[in-house]
Amino acid sequence: MRMDLKPMMNPKSVAIIGASRDPDKVGHIILQNYIDAGYSGALYPINRNAGSETIVGLKVYKSVLEVKKSIDLAVISIPAPAVPDALEECGKAGVKTAVVVSGGFAEIGEVALQDKIVEIAKKYNIAMLGPNCLGIMDPSSRVDTLFLPTYKLSRPKSGNVSFVSQSGAVGSTVLDLIAKEGFGLAKFISYGNAAYVDEVDILEYLLHDKETRVIVMYIEGVKRGKEFIEIAKKITKVKPVIIIKGGMTDAGAAAAHSHTASLAGNSQAYEAVFRQFGFIIAKDLSELLYFAKAFSTEPLPLGKRVAIITNGGGTGVLTADSVYLEGLELADFSENTKVALRKVLPSLVNIRNPLDLAGDADEVRYDNALSLVTNDPNVDMLIVIALFQTPGADSTVASKLIYYKKKISKPMVVITAGSDYTQTHKTMMESSGLPVYDSPMAATSSLTKLLKYKEYIDRDL
Amino acid sequence: MLLEYMNAKKLLDRYGISSIESAYVKDTESAIEFSSKVGGAIALKAISEKALHKSKAGLVMLNISGSESIRKAFGELSKRAHAYAPYKILAQKMAGSGIEVIIGGREDQQFGKLLLIGLGGIFVESFRDFAVRVCPITRYDAVEMIRQLKSKDIVTYNGKAENELTSMLMKVSRMIEENSISELDLNPVIVREDGYDVVDIRIIK
Repeated sequence: MRMDLKPMMNPKSVAIIGASRDPDKVGHIILQNYIDAGYSGALYPINRNAGSETIVGLKVYKSVLEVKKSIDLAVISIPAPAVPDALEECGKAGVKTAVVVSGGFAEIGEVALQDKIVEIAKKYNIAMLGPNCLGIMDPSSRVDTLFLPTYKLSRPKSGNVSFVSQSGAVGSTVLDLIAKEGFGLAKFISYGNAAYVDEVDILEYLLHDKETRVIVMYIEGVKRGKEFIEIAKKITKVKPVIIIKGGMTDAGAAAAHSHTASLAGNSQAYEAVFRQFGFIIAKDLSELLYFAKAFSTEPLPLGKRVAIITNGGGTGVLTADSVYLEGLELADFSENTKVALRKVLPSLVNIRNPLDLAGDADEVRYDNALSLVTNDPNVDMLIVIALFQTPGADSTVASKLIYYKKKISKPMVVITAGSDYTQTHKTMMESSGLPVYDSPMAATSSLTKLLKYKEYIDRDL
Repeated sequence: MLLEYMNAKKLLDRYGISSIESAYVKDTESAIEFSSKVGGAIALKAISEKALHKSKAGLVMLNISGSESIRKAFGELSKRAHAYAPYKILAQKMAGSGIEVIIGGREDQQFGKLLLIGLGGIFVESFRDFAVRVCPITRYDAVEMIRQLKSKDIVTYNGKAENELTSMLMKVSRMIEENSISELDLNPVIVREDGYDVVDIRIIK
């Protein structure tokens, strides 16, 4: 490993350089966020102009050199020209890692200034993230370097999905969206200009991070192509990596150049690398979340045969169409299943796939259908449609779906769409680890990615 | 540096990549001799470092058979090639009919050598149907590259053609890596039911 990011992600002590009493200053927000998140380690606000005052009850130091205690992480949010001196002091004080939140480096053409801080980081062996980044967040170790206040950006709960973003804007948007999802966050790492710590170091760290089961990445370009391929070969076999690259088209590439000062590499080469080394490619941010949701909770399917159980005929048909469009197949129920279904379901239900339980389907009817279909050897995965606008569907149906989700070892997802009543049930199911999608395409494309990933890790070279 | 055609062909031979029978001909007589040796129609191409696109420069004449036609074609081609002197004239056996495929390679700054396969001929530009991988590729990668093509059923009409192409892609990947080739165009490659022939070669080291 080139750099150890553990002290950054799980620090026992944090110095906040640029901590301010002014609640509008980035340095104040970061400090406040640490306190709000319930961070339990030592916190040292640093402000060069500080007198003997305190900030939010904590003693302020003029420099990290005054702290005289071991510091795992320094979060630096001061104007760019002052960063080299502050980092130099971190080096002298033996600070292990640093997150440089400040902008004003290579992304605006200040390449020499950026080179200078990289040199300092190397000299003192400081694992430096950024500059020009949001930094990191870890709900379980209560680390939060984001300078966006919690009332503006909701923080996700703790979970098994780690999210790596080169861009701070995409990072904060997706983070805010993840906060609304049922799955939680393991680590968030926004690495900005990638001047020193880059995507390869981050993947290397996440490969070994026990809390991370799924990785979601937004990148605009990689710094070390060959090393990126090497780490990709290792990590995608163990953990699914869902990736989206900004600048995949020529028009986008021009924009990427002026953004995080990154040269968007040739898009075909990137696509080739993603396909060849087992990445799961998302085309837009909603796909990123759909796929993360499925990989976060679902086992990998053993085949492509899908069973659809529905309380709405039309939605069942649309879902069947999506199944075929995505290259999956509708399962053919076994004879045993068919005979047993005929016995337990009312005569108005046609015994076939999609299995339309009709609009008055209640908890009992779902129970009868699911107990048989989940055990059918011809079924590799399940899509259950529960439209809560219907007379029969209520919380007992949602509970029944959760019950089967916990019981079976096949992928199972739910499609439901609607307003407040539906959303309540969606939240109920998602927080119990049952992925819910609002459209057939979202559900089927996510299942397809599970299958493709399974094929990748099983492939025979 | 552009590799001279016959040397490029020899390099392909070394890797077991089959290319169409070719020879430089210095006059009409040797062209006629080449034609009777390979049997059947031939193509004549003027090769010059000054003309990167032979067919665009009018330096390719196809499907020539019989001494009289060869004589006429040779004369006409020499006249056209005069503007691109120094040049040499290459005679090639006409490839049989089949599907035109393009196989290529280039050096990517970030990831290194890349390999490409696509539907060739007049369709390259309109359909942009191609697949790319980083070298070296595995057999799995080669199979996936072909399956990724929308035109896979056109390109590989049977298992034999698919196998041949798969092995060929792996050979090309090896050749690119072992010879530090920075640019490669095998275009067209004619794929038949029982195999393929590389018809034109452009290798830059």
